[in-house]
Amino acid sequence: MTSEDGRFVVVFNGEIYNYPQLRTELETEGARFRTTSDTEVLLHLYARHGAEMVHRLRGMFAFAIWDQVQHCLFLARDPYGIKPLYTANDGWTFRFASQVKALLAGRHLSRDPEPAGVVGFHLFGSVPEPFTLYRDIRSLPAGHTQFVDAAGPREPKPFSNLSELLAKGAANAVPVAEIPERVRAAVLDSIRAHLLADVEVGIFLSAGVDSGALLGCMRDAGQRGVRAITLAFEEFRGTSEDEAPLAARVCDHYGARHIVRRLSQQEFVEDLPAILDAMDQPSIDGVNTWFVSKAAKEAGLKVVISGLGGDELLGGYPSFADVPRWRRRFGALAVVPGLGLFARTLIGRVAPAFSHARPKALGLLEHSGTWAGAYLLRRGLFLPNELPEVMDPEIAREGMRRLRPLRCLGASLKPDPGSDLARVCVLESVHYMRNQLLRDADWAGMAHSLEIRVPLVDFTLLGALASSIPAITKGAGKAALAAAPITPLPNEVLTRAKSGFAVPTGAWINSVVGDAPWSIGHKPESKGNVSRRWSQAVLNGGPLTKRPLEVHAS
Amino acid sequence: MKPSPAMLALVTDAYRGRGGIAQYNRDFFEALSEEGLLSITVLPRQAPDSSGMPETIEQLQARPGRIAYSVAALRTALFRTVDVVFCGHLFMAPLAALIARLKGAKLIIQAHGIEAWPRPSRIQRTATERADLVLCVSRYTRAAVLSWAAIAPDRVLVVPNTVREVFTPADGSAQRAALGVEGKRVLLTVGRMDSRECYKGHDRVIAAIPHLVAKGHDICYMVVGEGDDRARLEALARDAGVSGRVRFLGAVGLQSLIEIYRAADLFVMPSTGEGFGVTFLEAMASGTPALGLGVAGARDALADGHLGTLVAEDDLQDAIARLLAAPKPDSSTLAAAARTRFGRETFAASVYAALNRLM
Repeated sequence: MTSEDGRFVVVFNGEIYNYPQLRTELETEGARFRTTSDTEVLLHLYARHGAEMVHRLRGMFAFAIWDQVQHCLFLARDPYGIKPLYTANDGWTFRFASQVKALLAGRHLSRDPEPAGVVGFHLFGSVPEPFTLYRDIRSLPAGHTQFVDAAGPREPKPFSNLSELLAKGAANAVPVAEIPERVRAAVLDSIRAHLLADVEVGIFLSAGVDSGALLGCMRDAGQRGVRAITLAFEEFRGTSEDEAPLAARVCDHYGARHIVRRLSQQEFVEDLPAILDAMDQPSIDGVNTWFVSKAAKEAGLKVVISGLGGDELLGGYPSFADVPRWRRRFGALAVVPGLGLFARTLIGRVAPAFSHARPKALGLLEHSGTWAGAYLLRRGLFLPNELPEVMDPEIAREGMRRLRPLRCLGASLKPDPGSDLARVCVLESVHYMRNQLLRDADWAGMAHSLEIRVPLVDFTLLGALASSIPAITKGAGKAALAAAPITPLPNEVLTRAKSGFAVPTGAWINSVVGDAPWSIGHKPESKGNVSRRWSQAVLNGGPLTKRPLEVHAS
Repeated sequence: MKPSPAMLALVTDAYRGRGGIAQYNRDFFEALSEEGLLSITVLPRQAPDSSGMPETIEQLQARPGRIAYSVAALRTALFRTVDVVFCGHLFMAPLAALIARLKGAKLIIQAHGIEAWPRPSRIQRTATERADLVLCVSRYTRAAVLSWAAIAPDRVLVVPNTVREVFTPADGSAQRAALGVEGKRVLLTVGRMDSRECYKGHDRVIAAIPHLVAKGHDICYMVVGEGDDRARLEALARDAGVSGRVRFLGAVGLQSLIEIYRAADLFVMPSTGEGFGVTFLEAMASGTPALGLGVAGARDALADGHLGTLVAEDDLQDAIARLLAAPKPDSSTLAAAARTRFGRETFAASVYAALNRLM
């Protein structure tokens, strides 16, 4: 879209949820709108405020604005990185796109591997920004803007910082008693904002707290007869592992219309090539999002709400307990230089079976000295010392040098968010969620022409809860969320959520990749090891797909 | 008035020096000093020629020895204000990084061609990673630097070579007569013949001549430049039975060079090792079409085929034949296009844009 005077041209991927307010403000200031699109708001804001405009936006966005007068390009990406934005600069030509694939399709860029991206994928199971698998292609980091002028792209500049927001909150921590009311108000506000649409908005509904509470809040925001989609597995039909019955109860509870989509192993195997093809960058997850998006498309939905981000925001993962505990228990020992390496080497020699079966146990002494190290240990697919076994040792060494994973994890905790919960919240949000969950939601949704909206991944919401997060105790966050709707979630949802649900996809993946020649040799004894083999299958293609992702450590 | 920032330039050679890198350095410094952006002090390793100093730029006495050079650089830095250190060659990067750190100055490292392609020593790599800007003459050199240096790609910019204004199109028939090549199809290569490098591609042109002659082209291949590979190339021409068609002209003066460019029908340099290939530009600025391989920096000099012709090695003979058979393009149009793309104004604009990153 071009501005009225022809000076600015914008391309935009995403949604601006506070578009009506912004439009009213701009019109008061004399701006004239020609369309009803949120895209036009970007043009007016940029003309008035330049790069500072990003602070006014609430939403998920990646956009670029070309200034015909100054001959410069302005790019921006939302604070959480919900929308992707990839760039490539060969020194003469700057290119950008929402997908790595789109940039490669132009055939002007080399496919030379980026060792940092390859190593990052092996460490985390997804490719950590700003890297991609290709040296010529980078991601504009979330919460950054970038100018491109005659000399090429300038260094990206951050405009938002989760740690800083949470650090401010920690300085003004609220009494525990106030937390439920704050969570209720903030989540309802976010839901209202995310319902801005000219088409029907559905919801992905599991039997967990996050999506259930969001459905309740949708009703509080005036939505009636919401269509809710639950992914269920044939294997679990009629067993206590089946989420569908409890999800159905939640639907009844809030007067929603329930769509249960049953997935079989056969369909999973049939769709695998398409899944691997749709993946923009390799990821060890995203399969469930693929199928639930497929179901939404079958139901004719274009926009859905997802509970993604609830675990990161309100302490839902085991990491919220594990990481601080490991820091306390092993941190003091881990600071002794060389002790961890010594223990790992020693145990590797005398008890190789143990070190193969539980590679992470050996990492405790080595990595739990810092928050970054403990987090890497918690989330890591492979640990740094294992990399030379699964990839070209030279690429592994070079990738570690370029990625510097501990330094990069540590840098996300500056300034110190001020509490254990906030630290893990930041680590989970800016690494696992940003590089994996949000990317998966994007490609899996886009492959089905579905817009997935994530009200629990919202910088305004985080700001409203920043002073509550330090005081949230184990389970209290999810309890507050369950109680957020005027009619709270049924108790059994909260109780059931604590024990968790199994998904059979791990076993299905195992059945596909278990005997593959590129499996790394250990019998499937844990979810972690299945993920490890799956990661190799995703990266190398193997028999699962006709077209490998074309990245080989060579 | 605030004094303009001071740049200390550590270079192999610049003024009173020879060759492409010295020329690039001079172009670079002059682009900067013309606008009074920086006051520049140049410390060269070599300065063999006796004349050619501009007034606005100070060049210190050359120090050929490595240790003497380092001492002179450190001493100069110690007693002067240094806001920017310009490092003209990768092998000086550790010294330049040290001085930049001691003086709290910004560091610019210039990367040209083959010196910057393979992974350098650890100390050179670390120094490069500390640079505020790495300037590369071509996209290929930039990609090579990024393959071994863990540095933000936004700090690694391409500033292409430029072409001097003395190269202009004009009638070359007098020069053709002087060389005795009237009526012949004149191929030209200008470049050093280095027995250690051997990448300029003279061999490939010589090998093509018998085939071209067989197709009816009365070829004369003029080779300008000096170097210790000449004897081998002469033998090669003899073995191919075309020594009568290959003229080794050696090093020539600037005026002769200008006229030889005009006299040629086709400039051909099937090189695999060009950082950029400034002689392509000189030929095109003289109105002579240029042909190279689509390899390394030649792609930039020939503007991806928009200014000159890029071919694969296997297609070289056919491409020469095709270009000789086609009507010669209008020389002033070609020269103007080359100058618009790579002339002094364009060069100065990209130098300012790059330096603007530091200010």
